[in-house]
Amino acid sequence: MSYLTRTLGNLRKIGFKEFWHQLNYIGDTKAGVLVGVDKFGNKFYENNEELPLRTRWVDYAKHDHDAGHIEPLWHMWISYGVDTPPNQDPLAVSNRSWASPHHIPNHTQTRGAYKPYNTTKPKIQAWEPVAVARQ
Amino acid sequence: MLSSARTGASLALRAKPTSHLVPYRAAAAISSSSRNDASGAVQPHGGYGIAKRERKEVPLPSQEGTKGVVQYALTTLDQITNWARQSSLWPMTFGLACCAVEMMHLSTPRYDQDRLGIIFRASPRQSDVMIVAGTLTNKMAPALRQVYDQMPEPRWVISMGSCANGGGYYHYSYSVVRGCDRIVPVDVYVPGCPPTSEALMYGIFQLQRKMRNTKITRMWYRK
Repeated sequence: MSYLTRTLGNLRKIGFKEFWHQLNYIGDTKAGVLVGVDKFGNKFYENNEELPLRTRWVDYAKHDHDAGHIEPLWHMWISYGVDTPPNQDPLAVSNRSWASPHHIPNHTQTRGAYKPYNTTKPKIQAWEPVAVARQ
Repeated sequence: MLSSARTGASLALRAKPTSHLVPYRAAAAISSSSRNDASGAVQPHGGYGIAKRERKEVPLPSQEGTKGVVQYALTTLDQITNWARQSSLWPMTFGLACCAVEMMHLSTPRYDQDRLGIIFRASPRQSDVMIVAGTLTNKMAPALRQVYDQMPEPRWVISMGSCANGGGYYHYSYSVVRGCDRIVPVDVYVPGCPPTSEALMYGIFQLQRKMRNTKITRMWYRK
């Protein structure tokens, strides 16, 4: 459904500013209903007129965006695991004390990135190639 | 005791070319007399434990700001280049084991990698990124390196699955390379056994993020 009239129709609905913003991030022009905003400010949209598996999309809050910024419950919704978004789902607002209150993002490419380390004593003693002149 | 004798022997053999052949035991005996001098010269090995060096904080490439007109202009150039690079990733498929099945699922309609501009190429000379999917055996390692060497610059490597990351299940096998990063430099490690197609796609997104933060002309200008 990526023909010109669709793009122009969506452009008429969302305006030039949003059009430019979407072109920079999604690479498409889409108009949909704002379903909800998660804790980090990511905006989730839905439009069931689109092709299957293109009906839900996210507008990330950060410029250096990453799928790990999405909250787990919203991740479930946006990857078509559930149909009810977590802000309308009674199960999502129930007691979730077992879950971590803070979402842990992916620290790759930041200071917090995982670096492997070793805590054991070295098993081999390397040979030092030092030659001492004979007395 | 044994180790000291061995060190002495090797030191004695290294010191000066002897005019006549000295038997091994004799050489050990001769050098053991001057062992104290030798041990003074030999520095103890540092080992691979937790580094006790001071932390040196350097800003990450993504944290450095943009200063001056030239840098702004070059940033725009970089953005154009990076956009072109990240939106047409052509992977060289190096499917070695079951991870390759998940890699194939990435190209099927559910995940549909073609919409991201990712098209599998059969030739390394036409590809940008190599996805090492599966157990890398000793026998396959030279081929992997050769294929990597045939890829044109710029090139990236995604290591997919625990076998490619560090040997995984076959880490203690006699015939398996303990991680493909012993053969080629790896950009993104995707954990899992095997990782789902979603995980691989997330790894590809991470690689695209890395490309977005790459400074091409800015580094050239710095030189």
